[in-house]
Amino acid sequence: MPKSQFVDPVELRKPGFIKFNDIPVNQYQKTVKQSKADGEGFSDADYKRIFRDMAYIREFETMLNLVKTRSEYHGIAYNNPGPAHLSMGQEAAAVGTAYVLDTNDFCFGSHRSHGELLAKAFSSIEKLGDAELEQIMREYFCGKILSRVEGGQNSVKELAMDFFLYGAISEIFGRETGFNLGLGGSMHTFFMPFGIYPNNALVGGSADIATGAALFKRVNRKPGIVVGNFGDGAIGCGPVWEAMNFAAMDQLTQLWPDEMKGGLPILFNIYNNSYGMGGQTRGETMCYDYVARIGAITPSEMLAERVDGFNPLAVIDATKRKKEAILDRKGPALLDVVTYRFSGHSPSDSNNYRTKEEIDAWMAQDPLITYRQQLVEAGVATDAECEAILEEAGAAIEKAYKKAIDLEISPRIDLEKNHNIIADLMYSNEVRPSMDPGRAPDVLTKYEDNSRVQSIARKERWAFDAEGKPVSKNKVFQFREALFEAIMTRFYEDPTLCFYGEDVRDWGGAYAVSRGMMESIPYQRLFNAPISEGAIVGTAVGYCMCGGRAIAELMYCDFLGRAGDEVFNQMSKWQAMSAGIIKMPLVLRLSVGSKYGAQHSQDWSSLCTHIPGLKVAFPATPYDAKGLMNAALVGTDPVVFLESQRIYDVGEQFHKGGVPEGFYTVEFGDPDVKIEGKDITILSIGAVLYRVLDAVKELKEKYGMEAEVIDARTLVPFNYEKVLASVKKTGRIVLVSDACQRGSFLNDMARNITEMAFDELDAPPVVIGAKNWITPAHELETYFFPQASWILDAINEKIVPLPGYTPVTNQTVEEQIRIEKDAE
Amino acid sequence: MVPIIMPRQGQSVESCIITKWHKKVGDQVTPGEILFSYETDKAAFDEEAKDAGVLLAILRGEGDDVPCLENVAVIGEAGEDPSAFMKNEAAPAKAEEAAAAAEEKKVEAVPAAVTGERAEGKISPRARALAEKSGADLSLAMPTGPHGRVIARDVQKLIDEGKVVTPAARGEAVPGMEGTGLGGRVSLHDLSRPAAAEAAAPAAAEPETWEEKLPNIRKVIARQMHQSLSEIPQVTHTLAFDATQILALRKMCKESGEAFGMNGVTIGDLVVYAVSRTLMQPEHAVLNAHFMGDTIKYFRNVQMGIAVDTPRGLMVPTLRDANKKSLLEISKETKELANACKQGSINPDLLTGASFTVSNVGVYGVESFTPVINPPQTGILGVCALQDRVRPGKDGQPEFYKVMTLSLTYDHRALDGSPASRFLRDLKRNLENIQMLLGGGSYHA
Repeated sequence: MPKSQFVDPVELRKPGFIKFNDIPVNQYQKTVKQSKADGEGFSDADYKRIFRDMAYIREFETMLNLVKTRSEYHGIAYNNPGPAHLSMGQEAAAVGTAYVLDTNDFCFGSHRSHGELLAKAFSSIEKLGDAELEQIMREYFCGKILSRVEGGQNSVKELAMDFFLYGAISEIFGRETGFNLGLGGSMHTFFMPFGIYPNNALVGGSADIATGAALFKRVNRKPGIVVGNFGDGAIGCGPVWEAMNFAAMDQLTQLWPDEMKGGLPILFNIYNNSYGMGGQTRGETMCYDYVARIGAITPSEMLAERVDGFNPLAVIDATKRKKEAILDRKGPALLDVVTYRFSGHSPSDSNNYRTKEEIDAWMAQDPLITYRQQLVEAGVATDAECEAILEEAGAAIEKAYKKAIDLEISPRIDLEKNHNIIADLMYSNEVRPSMDPGRAPDVLTKYEDNSRVQSIARKERWAFDAEGKPVSKNKVFQFREALFEAIMTRFYEDPTLCFYGEDVRDWGGAYAVSRGMMESIPYQRLFNAPISEGAIVGTAVGYCMCGGRAIAELMYCDFLGRAGDEVFNQMSKWQAMSAGIIKMPLVLRLSVGSKYGAQHSQDWSSLCTHIPGLKVAFPATPYDAKGLMNAALVGTDPVVFLESQRIYDVGEQFHKGGVPEGFYTVEFGDPDVKIEGKDITILSIGAVLYRVLDAVKELKEKYGMEAEVIDARTLVPFNYEKVLASVKKTGRIVLVSDACQRGSFLNDMARNITEMAFDELDAPPVVIGAKNWITPAHELETYFFPQASWILDAINEKIVPLPGYTPVTNQTVEEQIRIEKDAE
Repeated sequence: MVPIIMPRQGQSVESCIITKWHKKVGDQVTPGEILFSYETDKAAFDEEAKDAGVLLAILRGEGDDVPCLENVAVIGEAGEDPSAFMKNEAAPAKAEEAAAAAEEKKVEAVPAAVTGERAEGKISPRARALAEKSGADLSLAMPTGPHGRVIARDVQKLIDEGKVVTPAARGEAVPGMEGTGLGGRVSLHDLSRPAAAEAAAPAAAEPETWEEKLPNIRKVIARQMHQSLSEIPQVTHTLAFDATQILALRKMCKESGEAFGMNGVTIGDLVVYAVSRTLMQPEHAVLNAHFMGDTIKYFRNVQMGIAVDTPRGLMVPTLRDANKKSLLEISKETKELANACKQGSINPDLLTGASFTVSNVGVYGVESFTPVINPPQTGILGVCALQDRVRPGKDGQPEFYKVMTLSLTYDHRALDGSPASRFLRDLKRNLENIQMLLGGGSYHA
């Protein structure tokens, strides 16, 4: 809460009522004939095209249904073991939405988005000129998909239709000729040149991502709106609510600069088919009665309406009005589009949660029948013309289907020949100092005029004075300032860089990393996020997907669970799932706690290393913090950046000459030998480094052992060569981190070292982690987190006996067995 | 008061078995008196007292397999308490550590080795690798790692103390020596295992049959012979050569008297001489070699195993670099080796590392036999008795002449019949023209 806003007790304690506006329900009831009579601006061709698009979608889904249930389409056999969540019945809704959108409008969808995908593509093909279409098709994967379909078409648009149907089916069937080399598949098919952004297999997974895309449009002044398409089942998902709040948060209308003011340009578009899989939303699992009611969470009630999704004209009418309002900064908006899914949730659905009568009643009102009748009734098309359109759809889809199932034309990626195809797509590994080179960044002051920049300039960048005595905390350039410096300079380099999280602006971050930034960085680039960890990460994913760079901060590492899907499924996977089309320059800052008990003091670095696609950094010194943050912020990959709260105030004690003032990077994957030694190697992750130093001192002074200390610096990637060279020298290694020992990444490292240096080892690599307990109160933490004495204990018991040493903890094999047996 | 240790007879010896105590506790001993007898797998020794005094304690009994350098007894003045020596301290190690600690504080502190604790299989990979590389004798390692594990510094200590099987240049200088216990070689530990079948108690009076426990050397021979025949596809070729020239040469040597020192040269020496030269011909290298399974280890020089019959059983000392030695040297050294074997005083290091073996049974009149390969060697040559043969003479009349039969057994995995036959043919030509060979010539087909 900024000081400019007064929390007035008089106002807050005053009696009164909250007034709601009526939320319209299915107010548009026109037929084609009435629409035409009212001069709604459709040509006959437009009315017919609406039918054509619905017909193509119906045929497309029918094809997939037949392949799934009968392993054939038009008598052509094919087996598709992958998923197919079909949307027969929902075509009018999809076509109605897409009709209004152009390629600047981005849509995001769900696992059941084939119809939305096709509708948006058909709409884009209709709106784009031939030259633009040709360019898109030729440039996409260097024309690879185009080469499979080119020939025999009468127009560029017809070619584009064939191109899209083939690319989509190929992707669904996991072919190299799909839009993403078949790495996305049915639930994730997308095509960004047409404004079709990733569909998401997680229910509600697109909500915060789409909101991030809207944030990108606003912050970077991009045209168009964002449409997030979800099912009604997604309204039960927390991140969807987080996203709606994020898109409408008050600061957008009250605090952001005028040019940026207004709710984010997003339409939460709910295709309400009454079911979340088999769970009936209205009447069983949800409480809203009408989905549209949830719009009431904002003063504008999100301009919510229920519209009849079986009438494409009603959907067009509502979407058009919402789009205008959103572009007018009155968003976000919400539509409750009533529709129905004739098909099962998936082909294995036996419909035991609904009656045949219910399905039949909806099928009787099938838009493919009723809208067709309206076309005939309005004299727009004859029934024979409608029939011809249906036949045309069948022929077009059969043509694409035949090619897509032909392994000669549409092979799968060849992992036999090139084992690394997927591996190479996991990270983009590019260096791009700016995601929008040439554009001037929005800033409020010059970098050097920032008062914290000036204050930092007076700090000592090396932790010791000329006599070797430590510089006082107040005078030394601290770890937090190293991070400030890296981030602050990047704000001036990359105009797209946007940094948000809880209390990062006025407060300056809970640990003062971003203190003083607000003086120079405008709201839209540095703002306090709601306490919505899912949305903080999810929106950042969407922001980066659209071409921006973001820093998202979760105040505590422990809050990672709140952003589980966003970190583990979204941030990590989209680069590879898009076959490298999407870049994800997202730095997720996680502060690793201590002193704050069980739910605020756990080191979760190991969880992050387990998820393919994330890079994981955990610096322990100011030099490494700045160098790694710089590397993360010029890179194009998602980075989980862990910072220990124990060491925000340390100065640089290892890198001679201190922390450089200028720009430099520390390479990801390159561990650093902090202290050289010959008798034993200690590999350390994060802040435990400083407790390792205590152990090193004792080993030297009391036992004549010279320990070599290696700071991992990054966990993923990690180059073992330095560690192996060290182990070759010493023959012994202890691995230490503050993460709980069971499942710690250290175990992975120990196993790798054992395999790679077995004959060099004079003892097994010994892992020292925190206890497998809850983190106790600060006063008891020495019993929980690794201490110098634990390191000596382990060395004495497992590696080399220390003469005359008295152990503090029990490190015997018997104790180890007991601990594991008792799950202690 | 002094401890008596189990001496170390050769660097490949891990431990020795005490076969007999000649003194008992309380006996007065004087220097030179035999205290106890002991044996390795191939040699027997007596340990003499070096100090005078009373035998205060016997720490290891008859039949005990005692690691070399461990205390076995204590000699001192009557009434002294020998308990200080009852445990085997790593005395030299301790002294060195103390010195090192005093001298250089930075050196890693090392606790005393666990008393008497041995590397019972516990050894770090690094220590094992270091031992393999350096040839350090792991049986002597005093573990200082956790829970009795031998760690690298323990092996390093062995190396520093020179407790290695061979010198650093062992690959070159003494080919064929293997690291202790590697490759399934018989170790003294094997010898100390109880026999599979215990001796049955002899019947009360004049039994018709009786059983005796095999001496350890017999057990070793038994196992090695069985292993050789069961594991190696071995084939024997036999061929006779005209012994006219070597007999003439032998006669010449004998008649030359002591003036040339050659009068002791035997037929066997001449055969060894010829074999050592013939093996050096490049095409016969595969017979001067070890078959290692996936590889063949070739030897730069001929390490000639010479079978010697001793009262204890067959022994095969090695005549090192036989190809470099003159006939006189071969003759003299072979005699020395044979005598040492017969007396049981052979250095055990000389009982290993042969690359080829010659076994001469001609003295018993054996006309032909199938010698058994001593693995991993690829061949063994049996030398048989002289025989008379008849052939057409110059005038068509029958002519008697002497022949000698050679029986070559070879490992068919390493070579085929033709190369084996060619070796025999070349050896025959060399023996039949021994003067050419002595002059430095050698038969080539």
